[in-house]
Amino acid sequence: MRPLRSLALVVPAAMLLAACGGDDTTGDGGVVELRYAFWGSDDRAQTTQEMIDAFEAENPDIRVEVDYADFGAYFDKLATSVAAGDAPDIMTMGGAYHSEYAGRGALLDLAEVGDIIRTDEISEDVLAHGTIDGSLYAIPTGVNGYAMVANPAVFAQAGLEIPDDTTWTWDDFAQLCTQIGTALGDDGYGAQDLTNHNTLSLWARQHGEQLYGEDGELDLSAETLAEWWQFALELRDSGCTPPATLSEELASQSAPEQTLIGTNAGGMSLIWSNVLEALSTASGEQLRLLIPPGVEGGDPGSWLGPSMYYTISARSEHTEEAARLVDFMLNEPAAAESFLTDRGLPVNTDVREAIMDQLTPVQQAEAEYLNRLEEAAGAPVPPAPVGSTETAGIVTRLNSEVLFDRTTPQDAAGRFVSEVEAALRP
Amino acid sequence: MTTVPTSSRDQAPGEPPPEAPEQPPEPGRGRRSPLAKREGRVAYLFLAPWFIGMVVVTIGPILASLYLSFTEYSLLQPPEWLGLENYRRMLEDERLHTALRVTFTYVLVSVPLQLALALALAFFLDRGVRGLSVYRSVYYLPSLLGGSVAIAILWRQIFGTEGLINQLLGLVGIEGQGWVSHPDHALSTLIVLNVWTFGAPMVIFLAGLRQIPAMYYEAAEVDGAGGFTKFWRITVPLLTPIIFFNLVLQIIGSFQTFTQAFIVSGGTGGPADSTLFYTLYTYQRGFGSFEMGYASALAWVLLIIIAGFTAVNFLAAKRWVHYGD
Repeated sequence: MRPLRSLALVVPAAMLLAACGGDDTTGDGGVVELRYAFWGSDDRAQTTQEMIDAFEAENPDIRVEVDYADFGAYFDKLATSVAAGDAPDIMTMGGAYHSEYAGRGALLDLAEVGDIIRTDEISEDVLAHGTIDGSLYAIPTGVNGYAMVANPAVFAQAGLEIPDDTTWTWDDFAQLCTQIGTALGDDGYGAQDLTNHNTLSLWARQHGEQLYGEDGELDLSAETLAEWWQFALELRDSGCTPPATLSEELASQSAPEQTLIGTNAGGMSLIWSNVLEALSTASGEQLRLLIPPGVEGGDPGSWLGPSMYYTISARSEHTEEAARLVDFMLNEPAAAESFLTDRGLPVNTDVREAIMDQLTPVQQAEAEYLNRLEEAAGAPVPPAPVGSTETAGIVTRLNSEVLFDRTTPQDAAGRFVSEVEAALRP
Repeated sequence: MTTVPTSSRDQAPGEPPPEAPEQPPEPGRGRRSPLAKREGRVAYLFLAPWFIGMVVVTIGPILASLYLSFTEYSLLQPPEWLGLENYRRMLEDERLHTALRVTFTYVLVSVPLQLALALALAFFLDRGVRGLSVYRSVYYLPSLLGGSVAIAILWRQIFGTEGLINQLLGLVGIEGQGWVSHPDHALSTLIVLNVWTFGAPMVIFLAGLRQIPAMYYEAAEVDGAGGFTKFWRITVPLLTPIIFFNLVLQIIGSFQTFTQAFIVSGGTGGPADSTLFYTLYTYQRGFGSFEMGYASALAWVLLIIIAGFTAVNFLAAKRWVHYGD
């Protein structure tokens, strides 16, 4: 009986110990372990790992574990781990997520590690994007611009020239796009469906409105939005954009290799400039960035914005070490040399200068585009308010209803306004 | 496998005979031998990990979610008491109504189809097919795989615009469309997926069919009954307990469907909310919109719905389920 009884004691004890042993982050030999969460493609994961190797070589007392996911799953995963008290030490944020998390006390006020993270070479305008209620919670990783990407090979196939993007209008775009769609026949389309919350932000600004106003309220009217959806339907019917079922399939696939432009089956697409490299790699073509079309005689509507943000968890036990990694990623040319412009054009002007020579032709084109965009850009976009992270999903859902003719542009626009207003309400 | 602990203990060399565990506790006297007491304690120790697990991992969270359902809880901040507000809000939540419509359609269409297919195949396999065990395994396989992420991804490919189904249709000159990406058809593909996992109820039906004594059929044949009459008058009535069991199990399981819809729609419930299952919507509210209080309330309402369906099933069973004798 004796062995049996001791076994009965040992087994549960061992299971309890195993259950408790999970969160030992200090490791042995005084090495601190950090977790760094970000989203993105395999390419980004690879260059990030190179950056981390360089960081660990300089900081032998820190080990960094990466925690990355596809964009579609990233924020669900992050919310789950933060809620479970298992937040990564360093979290990449985007859109309005840094306001959501900071507003709920999940982010470290970076003033607490202000002596570690150097921000002298980063402009005030850039830092303002990460400042919430007067405190700096998030630092932009890089500068980004919304752009119409064009595939010269597809244009050539259709016998068309890349247009002059300083003067073109949506009408010009529609004409070109339809011509490409017609020329390609079954092999492709003029463009991938353009509707998402970024496009709506652009459209609003071109019509003297904003997606969100200065006080965090919805500032896009139902009339302006209905006009956009009407236009999107015309594009669908003219063969510029694919039929609804294909648009729906493409909308749920964010990898560059799955997009029309990345597979050389589409002439144009609206994207963020930092995706250019990944898309070019996927397509094998020298893709071009164009300033998005405008409204006849209207404001170009474009803006320069942060691509993503670095934030530190308020519950991190190693804020000092986490700050050292953030500082490294922001201010060390060695870090930027690995991911170059993949997180946007570096915000530290010295670092930006330092990596210019190392940029691939595609990345140089991206940097040139941002310079051109800076001249055309209007006023900065006000920070996205708490609750606005829902907008992307609302647009996607209503866009499906419009593209499948299950509702009218007017009705969808009305529902958009009421749903977004409900989500923004505190 | 299961006999290892007892046999090794029983046959342990050098064990004195009085300690042999075969001796049963004296019945009716309320007294237990010291050995039985000691064994009881050991049993509780062995149960402890499971018990702790159940309290910590299952019962605790269930009670916590009941409390949270009366609060506003953003996951990142402590919950705030709201009273019945979350439950009141459901009445006006149009997406919830969509989710209910989608889920009920799914359950009410796929469960009867799945059970009918399972019963039909079980019936034919039972009539003596050569290689029965092979067929049984092959048909059972989808039940093991059906709820997995891999199959959901595969499904998405098969029913995609360039997928297998459309290629097959193309061979006979029909131009297909993107089945999972069309709001009118997306739910049907998920219903087909659920029907496809008919193997588990089929195996249970097979076991049930084996229990029906052959003499009933022989007697019926003597009376001149045909194949359909035998099936309808003998097989079905004697099988009703099994049908009932499968029905209850499949309804409960289908209400809880999550993985397939999540993967096939990329977590959105799209296109246009046509695959917005109840559990998927609950997940979106909880983890996508930081509304864990509301999500908890949704989870409790789902529990009540399932409990209601099960109760109705049991009440109705009195009218149509025959337990022999």
